[in-house]
Amino acid sequence: MTKILEVELVTYEKNRDDLIGKAEGKYVLIKGSEIAGIFDTEGDTTRMGYQKFGNVPFLVKQIVKVEVPVYFTSNLIQI
Amino acid sequence: MVLEGPVVDIKVTVSKTLEATLRAEKKDIPNPIPVKAMIDTGATFSVIQVGLAKKLGLNPIGTATAQTPSTSTTGVQAYKYNLALFFPNLVTVEVNAVEMPLKGQNIQCLVGRDVLSLGVLVYTGYINQFTFTL
Repeated sequence: MTKILEVELVTYEKNRDDLIGKAEGKYVLIKGSEIAGIFDTEGDTTRMGYQKFGNVPFLVKQIVKVEVPVYFTSNLIQI
Repeated sequence: MVLEGPVVDIKVTVSKTLEATLRAEKKDIPNPIPVKAMIDTGATFSVIQVGLAKKLGLNPIGTATAQTPSTSTTGVQAYKYNLALFFPNLVTVEVNAVEMPLKGQNIQCLVGRDVLSLGVLVYTGYINQFTFTL
């Protein structure tokens, strides 16, 4: 499914161990193969993404050792 | 409220940060889109109907692995979008909402715990009322 942000997600995976070592729990901003910055909050990271790149896809991701899925219990969601 | 659930009419629009970016780029600010939203304590994040982000000209800023009643335990990948939810009484909340297909009850948005964590939700069933205070 992921065509948009596919490159950014690969960039994250390639740098994941290093990012965890340096900044676990913080948020990383990625555009293409560029690590554009690390920030304390999701909001700050998003703001910087818009300021730096404009209204284009970019990746805001929390740096964590274990990726936890998000849960939705509503039957209105039909995937 | 027993049949419909805690539903509220809100508007979905771009966040203040994106609005500033669009102004700086001298681009039009999209009009807010009115939607019917359901308060959903079972949703980790708020959800928007597929197509809403495109109508607002939004681009994804992340992904989430979503598990729902209809997915397997591995979940499905969904895009996240930065946007603002306008509630009644001029209350605005900015969220990174997940885009997923919503079917039934004409609901286009689920207000999840990302928003609920900011306030107090009171569900007074015997008088068919709920309040959400931010």
